[in-house]
Amino acid sequence: MTVQTERPPSGPVDVRKTDDEGPGRPTPRAASRAGALVPYLLLLPACVATVLLLGWPLLKDVLLSFQNLNMAQLIQHVTEWNGIDNYKEVLTGEDFWRVTLRSILFTAVNVALTMVLGALVGLLLARLGRRMRFTLMMGLVLAWAMPVVAATTVYQWLFAQRFGVVNWTLDKLGWHSMADYSWTSSQMSTFFVVTVLIVWMSVPFVAINLYAATTTIPSELYEAAALDGAGSWRSFTTVTLPFLRPFLYATTFLEIIWIFKAFVQVYTFNQGGPDRLTEILPVYAYIEGVGNQHYGMGAAIAVLTILILLGLTAYYLRIVLKQEEDEL
Amino acid sequence: MKRSLFGRLWPNVTAVVLFIGCVFPVYWMFATAFKPTGDIIAENPVWIPVDVTFEHFRTATEVEHFWTYVTNSLTVTVLAVAFSLIIALAGSFALARMRFKGRRGFIIGFMLAQMAPWEVMIIAMYMIVRDASMLNSLVPLTLFYTMMILPFTILTLRGFVAAVPKELEESAMVDGCTRVQAFRRIILPLLAPGLMSTSLFGFITAWNEFALVLVLNKEAEAKTLPLWLSSFQTQFGDDWGATMAASSLFAVPILILFVFLQRRAVSGLTAGAVKG
Amino acid sequence: MKRKLIAAIGIAGMMVSIAACGGDSGDDKKAGADGWAGETLTVWVMDGSSPDQWQKDLAAEFEKKTKAKVKFEVQQWNGIQQKLTTALSEENPPDVFEIGNTQTPAYAKTGGLADLGDLKKEIGADWTESLNESSVYEGKQYAAPWYFANRVVLYNKKIWADAGIKETPKTRDEFYKALKTIGEKTDAEPIYLPGQNWYHFVGLVIGEGGELVKKEGDKYVSNLDDPKVAAAMETYKKFQALSKAPKDKDEATPQQGEVFAKGKTGAFIGMGWEAGIATKANPKIEKEIGYFTIPGATADKPEGVFLGGSNLAVAAGSKKQELAKEFLKLALSDKFEGRLAKLNGVIPNKESLQSNLEGNAPAEAAAPAAAVGGTTPLIPEWAAVENEPNPVKTYMTAVLNGKSPAEAAKQVEDEFNKRLAQQQ
Repeated sequence: MTVQTERPPSGPVDVRKTDDEGPGRPTPRAASRAGALVPYLLLLPACVATVLLLGWPLLKDVLLSFQNLNMAQLIQHVTEWNGIDNYKEVLTGEDFWRVTLRSILFTAVNVALTMVLGALVGLLLARLGRRMRFTLMMGLVLAWAMPVVAATTVYQWLFAQRFGVVNWTLDKLGWHSMADYSWTSSQMSTFFVVTVLIVWMSVPFVAINLYAATTTIPSELYEAAALDGAGSWRSFTTVTLPFLRPFLYATTFLEIIWIFKAFVQVYTFNQGGPDRLTEILPVYAYIEGVGNQHYGMGAAIAVLTILILLGLTAYYLRIVLKQEEDEL
Repeated sequence: MKRSLFGRLWPNVTAVVLFIGCVFPVYWMFATAFKPTGDIIAENPVWIPVDVTFEHFRTATEVEHFWTYVTNSLTVTVLAVAFSLIIALAGSFALARMRFKGRRGFIIGFMLAQMAPWEVMIIAMYMIVRDASMLNSLVPLTLFYTMMILPFTILTLRGFVAAVPKELEESAMVDGCTRVQAFRRIILPLLAPGLMSTSLFGFITAWNEFALVLVLNKEAEAKTLPLWLSSFQTQFGDDWGATMAASSLFAVPILILFVFLQRRAVSGLTAGAVKG
Repeated sequence: MKRKLIAAIGIAGMMVSIAACGGDSGDDKKAGADGWAGETLTVWVMDGSSPDQWQKDLAAEFEKKTKAKVKFEVQQWNGIQQKLTTALSEENPPDVFEIGNTQTPAYAKTGGLADLGDLKKEIGADWTESLNESSVYEGKQYAAPWYFANRVVLYNKKIWADAGIKETPKTRDEFYKALKTIGEKTDAEPIYLPGQNWYHFVGLVIGEGGELVKKEGDKYVSNLDDPKVAAAMETYKKFQALSKAPKDKDEATPQQGEVFAKGKTGAFIGMGWEAGIATKANPKIEKEIGYFTIPGATADKPEGVFLGGSNLAVAAGSKKQELAKEFLKLALSDKFEGRLAKLNGVIPNKESLQSNLEGNAPAEAAAPAAAVGGTTPLIPEWAAVENEPNPVKTYMTAVLNGKSPAEAAKQVEDEFNKRLAQQQ
């Protein structure tokens, strides 16, 4: 719903009006007016798609969140409004808040790890010789390209209780209690594996993008810094970092969104278990809604999930707002 | 002297360790897929598949309708990526090159659209598609996948369009090209690497999607590969050989695409950026 | 303009759904001279519940009789409720489908199942009363009983012989001792018992004379803190300790039959037809498989078992009601019902067909326990409990990981009660 309210005033209508003003021969003024229509026309397909394919489901979801919708209602196509009951039940229960807190911590830890490691690898790429850089780049691309469903399956196998190569290695390294360890048996071990998986999948994107960005730093900037007597650390903080800041902001924003929504990794690896202890918001919404066939409730949790994600990214969106203002 | 040797050494050593970390899971997937079952469940891991077997691939592909899934996945993915690229190219050109009222609003709008957590809206999408009698069809899938990747595509392409020097376009127009011609002859070729690298994201998203197709398409004729892969866990139990063979088959198209496109995309990106 | 567009789409959507509703009735031709030629009936059956050959023969005979085709679609138990609910809401639901007995009341209540009262009158006069119980909701017949089964011990004769055990155990203690011996004398895993084989656990609870839920006023609430449930769980834990199977998985992930097929497992507790899964994975194992009744605390009474079973139901939204009933008549006829009992060693829906089980080893092992078997409460509220993550499974894993039964019961109580009270 937010997406819809954020839509700018509908352009084409205004423009068409101004277009009608200049009948007959197009004067230069009218031509430029007609030109003003172009950007809106270019954006029209994207907007139509967004409204239809995202706005509509979103609206539907909001409507569902005010309904008592369970097996019977779904099967018989019955609409039973129940006001804000779903929200009341979700918001007054302990579970939702616990899951929210867990989701935020989960996102924070994973994004922080991904960004720090990704940035370091990106800077490392810039330092490497050509051949080594190519090799590492290939490795990163392979990890990046692994489809998430396949990657999660592979990690289940790596961390399998029996015959899993991770347990075998830990055992051989002298940690014998890990020989038959079940990684899905506790909250922390499940999160550990999911975190390794997510960081492994996400670092390449950050690293490669950051490396690409460092290659665009004009070398004169470094020369100037060197003339001023800056050491390598100083030139890093005064030249590299400021130059990379917009890239870092943008990638952090993307990573927050992607990791917050890491449904497949968490759900496929351990279905939010053991004992529902690794459910993050999207998984919680899915289990309560689709899994438990309590669809109205699931929709309410979904709406709240969207609001929380908006809250998490509000800071960045404000930066973008300001930035675009400056540019114009 | 010693220090500088160390200084030269550590980045390479770190790179090698990172390389192994990145590649091992992928390697292990392929290695397991080619190993006979006896080697897979050996007390000590067999690091390199010596007795190569194709048995697991046979198990994985002998599933009924396998080729239908492949065709469906390819169709949906390619169409969704193509649609989103076309729609996004137009939009991103406006956003990067033109000044108009509400431009900022559009950008923020697409950023918000990018955040949509699709998995949690599934039942709403299901009911829309159901009530439109479009279940068990590839059309709604293609449309929704297009939308899932559209915001990212627009926003990323905008950066690539902006990176093409404006002067090039202007000089072309001075030479008598119309704006459309200038776009087609000058900007589009320069954008090719950008289009490629942006399409990667689309490919991987659409190729992977399974929560939506799981509820929308119950008939085998309209299912896609992610469903086939995720059904392995239940159907084949702890047959890791077949599961890894299936994962390999699923991953290979994307891996090839990435390795092929990414090199050109990254070099294109950096080259373009340096020129600008 | 945009608003108009949305409105237009909204109306289009509505028209489509109205059209869909209109299509629900009608076009159900009565059997004419030409029968139902050209029609295809979609039937959902669960994985492993009926042999391929049985399906083929049934389809052939059905086509001969009605000129209509049958399309069998095999479903997995995992996630079946979610799939079934959405399917029943669709324009083209499966016409006939297999549904678990514990799940039937919930679906009967949703209105998604067609009333089969006339079918019961026509062919169901001699259906075994106790097996028909789950199909009846508020006095109406919403499904037809199909087959029933309870768990037995499947064991590897060679491993037991290697361990020097000559006779199958008659009491729980003998059973435990035998498994211990296998652990000591062979390198096999004595028993494969994952932590969440909750159907077996329900059986143990029934054996103790306990119940998983109790009625408080007009509501059902958790009864996991009952000492009888705790005693059952202690028994489970004692046997589970002999197994290397994961404590947080059920018997289907991985399929225990496939684990057994590797020939390194002394025994497992499962359905008789799970031998088929093992044989399919490794044909050589077939001659090693033996069966015996799960031994109870004393030799005179076998262990309590969960009486699992499946019914066949017709979707209320199916456009082929008559044809679907024709299918049920044939599938449940003495010929096919009897053959299913014989092939799979399951209990048929009427006493007169029991003779098909003579000489069937798993069925003979299962029979003594069936008399002391039971089910989970046959109430619509129960289906929600079985949705993953099932609180009973969570309880089991918690105890196996070291919590006391009382603590574990307390831990899952809220979740359990929430599901039992879930708005319908």
